[in-house]
Amino acid sequence: MLVTTIINGLVLGGTYALVAMGLTIQYGIARIMNLAYGETIIAAAFLAFVLNGALGIAPLPSLLIAAPAGFALSYVIYGLMLRPLVRRSGGGAGLEVNSILATFGLLFVIQGIMLVLFGGDYISYSYMNFGVDVLGASVAANRLLALVLAVVLGGGLYLLLTRTLWGTALRAVAVAPQSAPLVGIDANRAARFAFALGGALATCGGVVISMYQTFTASSGVIFTMKALIVVILGGVGNLAGALSAGLLLGLVETLVATYVSPGLTLAAVYHIFLGVLLWRPSGLFGKARR
Amino acid sequence: MIEVRNLSVSYGKHVALTNIAISVADGEAVVILGANGAGKSSLLKAIAGLAQPAPGAQVRLGGRPLLGLPAHEVLEAGIALVPEGRGIFVDLTVSENLDLGAYARRARTNAARNRDLVFELFPRLAERRRQIVATMSGGEQQMVAIGRALMSSPQLLMLDEPSLGLAPVMVGELFSALGRIRQTGVSLLMVEQNVRKSLSLADRGYVLEAGRIVGEGDATSLKDNPLVQNAFLGMAEDA
Repeated sequence: MLVTTIINGLVLGGTYALVAMGLTIQYGIARIMNLAYGETIIAAAFLAFVLNGALGIAPLPSLLIAAPAGFALSYVIYGLMLRPLVRRSGGGAGLEVNSILATFGLLFVIQGIMLVLFGGDYISYSYMNFGVDVLGASVAANRLLALVLAVVLGGGLYLLLTRTLWGTALRAVAVAPQSAPLVGIDANRAARFAFALGGALATCGGVVISMYQTFTASSGVIFTMKALIVVILGGVGNLAGALSAGLLLGLVETLVATYVSPGLTLAAVYHIFLGVLLWRPSGLFGKARR
Repeated sequence: MIEVRNLSVSYGKHVALTNIAISVADGEAVVILGANGAGKSSLLKAIAGLAQPAPGAQVRLGGRPLLGLPAHEVLEAGIALVPEGRGIFVDLTVSENLDLGAYARRARTNAARNRDLVFELFPRLAERRRQIVATMSGGEQQMVAIGRALMSSPQLLMLDEPSLGLAPVMVGELFSALGRIRQTGVSLLMVEQNVRKSLSLADRGYVLEAGRIVGEGDATSLKDNPLVQNAFLGMAEDA
């Protein structure tokens, strides 16, 4: 029982960490607080559902469609909708408020389209729905796959950002955007790529989530909220922070749901959130400001 | 090599520079002298593409017009700026800062050679390449800033008050490094408060006052110029 619970917690936490990494990249590098982030996740879950049901493409290969689609869609959204806001703010503080308002609107647009197309019902499909023996406990294979994917995608992203010049350039934009042009980095282009990369992570997360969870057209908000909590807990723009905070959140939710009461999961999450904010306002891994 | 003509910069109603004309020849070292607020930094920023000059200005590098290019394209054209406050990535390591210095397309082919040059100029950076820059002293951070700029294979290196806030020992090291950088064929354009040291490094200089050029000449004549002596050298005696 305990082993199953912990593995389920790690699966959930791994998924949280994966989607939170995308949000932390969008916010940390592109400086866009994307409230429509969860809708991107759910849109990808629907994409996996349709590809699986109508075209017979399994969720694993459909990642190869979802990731580029998420990248392209976010790239276009940034160019059409967010670039004008960036230009208008001129690097000032107005961008944060404007991007929150604009993506808040985008949330309802994407959600509305999904409600029209798929209705408001809970949706799920069956994929690798058999038990696998792990340390004497039976765990659903689709959950194990979700955990592996979260580790591989998250780890790949981490290596990309820390071991390549391109990734180092993105981190440079995150820590000192005004200095980036001094080494020939086009900060606007970097921001757009970072936003698109975050979108690709969101769609990967959506496909992974759809493998083992039910979802509806309107459940995006919950994912945005959870991802936001993970990002703030871990420290904005901090990948290692998002990873550990995501795992922590998943474990706590699962443990509380199993041993205390499923109704108290959100309460537990917010207690941790408040506790960390009181103790370390800039997050577990964030640097103290001032 | 670089020609600046008719350059005026204002921030709102405040006029920072009026009709500036300067030039730096290939391999030349030029210093711009002036009191605080004379517009020295604005001049370097305007050349680097970080400040917007009034219409009618001309900035040409080897005949190629640079004005209107974004800052990252100016670097790509061959002008590197070490700004006041250094503008380095203090949350990253020395090595990462230098790698990013070679991010520009123009810098990629010579990255290994430039890195050797930087480590030869500043052996301390080679020892500390894994260190986070924020944990280093001001002088070491200035080395990172200059090293990072050199990584981009610049034709012209612009420095905004490189000796500001450094210990006297470090200032000496800094100027000897700048002297060696000159010998590699890079042109220098710098703004400095340390008039004595910068005039002994430079070939020529300009004197900037309230946004206008009020004097120019070769370094030796500027040293004897009463304008410079009264305004700067008296105060810079102990520097």
